[in-house]
Amino acid sequence: MSNRPTAKQSPSQRVQQAQRQSQGSNRVWWILGAVLIVVAVAFVAAIAAGGGGNSDAEGGVASPSGGTVVPNGDASFGNVEARGTALAQFAGGGTDAAVGTPVPSLNGTTFDQSRVDIPASGKPKIVMFVAHWCPHCQAEVPRIQEWLDANGMPGDVDLYTVSSGTSESQPNYPPGDWLRGEGWSVPTMLDDKEGRAALAYGLSSYPYFVVVDADGNVVTRTSGELSTEAWEALLESARSGQTGGTTGTTGAASEAG
Amino acid sequence: MNVDAMSTFFALLSLVALAGAAATGVLAVVRRRDPDGPLAGWWHDLGRVSLLLAWLVALTATLGSLYYSESANFVPCQLCWYQRICMYPLALLLGLAAWRRDRAFAVYGIALAAVGAALSIYHSWLQAFPPDSGSSFCTADAPCTTRHVWEFGFVSIPFMALSGFLFILAMMGVARSTVRHEETT
Repeated sequence: MSNRPTAKQSPSQRVQQAQRQSQGSNRVWWILGAVLIVVAVAFVAAIAAGGGGNSDAEGGVASPSGGTVVPNGDASFGNVEARGTALAQFAGGGTDAAVGTPVPSLNGTTFDQSRVDIPASGKPKIVMFVAHWCPHCQAEVPRIQEWLDANGMPGDVDLYTVSSGTSESQPNYPPGDWLRGEGWSVPTMLDDKEGRAALAYGLSSYPYFVVVDADGNVVTRTSGELSTEAWEALLESARSGQTGGTTGTTGAASEAG
Repeated sequence: MNVDAMSTFFALLSLVALAGAAATGVLAVVRRRDPDGPLAGWWHDLGRVSLLLAWLVALTATLGSLYYSESANFVPCQLCWYQRICMYPLALLLGLAAWRRDRAFAVYGIALAAVGAALSIYHSWLQAFPPDSGSSFCTADAPCTTRHVWEFGFVSIPFMALSGFLFILAMMGVARSTVRHEETT
């Protein structure tokens, strides 16, 4: 060490040196102490700010949207029965041949094995296909839930989700935990291991939205993340039976299986 | 602690690291202008803890990154992996360098942290201003544009990495400057 006192130094120099040294080690402790305090403050602030999070996902409870959070239950696949002709696989871009053609009806089950049916006709509806591992779905679900919580479940359009492409080896498994964690309040059908529901609706990538009018015919189909505005436009096209300006565009999507 | 609270925690830490890097930069300028001023002592003492502080930041960044991929199940994208390649070795090597009080390590730390910082700048930019291409950047399963974390309207995971790399660079700068100082006195 260079600043060790040496015999050549005068006593006063030695005192100065010692003072500097003790000052120095003090400052080192100040620096380390400050780091500790800062980390502790950040930790407390994070807990205080994140207290209202969604760590304890409870299903089946009333949602701020007016709907019900998807039920508890560890099913990840359901039994799906599709009746009718399958839609052409969605290609995106250009004219969609499936527009105006009737959708098949889907009968299936949800996380607690209770039934979820997506009838072909009835009310206008939006059927949304998600996969638990798809990052765009993970981004889309909270965005739509936030909209639903703020605006309430639409009375004139039925909403359905199909959880498809499920795979135990993929991240964010199981889908039930994910959707409950997001407070997801849209009735959710579980696709079967063969992906019958996805096949019947012509899915090619996630997330995938099919808008169906009251007569059971496809109004428009779109795949990829939707902004809140695009989501509202999709709802509007379900109500009017006509494609809005922003739908039909293909946002960022994850390829199916 | 849920993922949201952890993200807020990491985001706050990253802002502190960024502030630390900036303060170190200011200190460097002040010290250069007035080498015998009162702040010179601080610079010297910062040098004594520089390796330790840099190691703590590298370790936190590494554990945080592992938390996000292993516990929160965020799939690391390609760019994330390249940044990990720069950060993970630092968590080990800076610890070793701090233990051995080997400030000469700084030059190797700078090499890793500089590459990491460059990648983080690019990736932070991508997340802040996603390209309007309409399809996923990088791969479909793990797009680089996915904002898994978006705290305070600007802190993303690559932004946290950037803060960490900049802080490590700043500490390596202090270590390098003070090791020369000690050799010459």
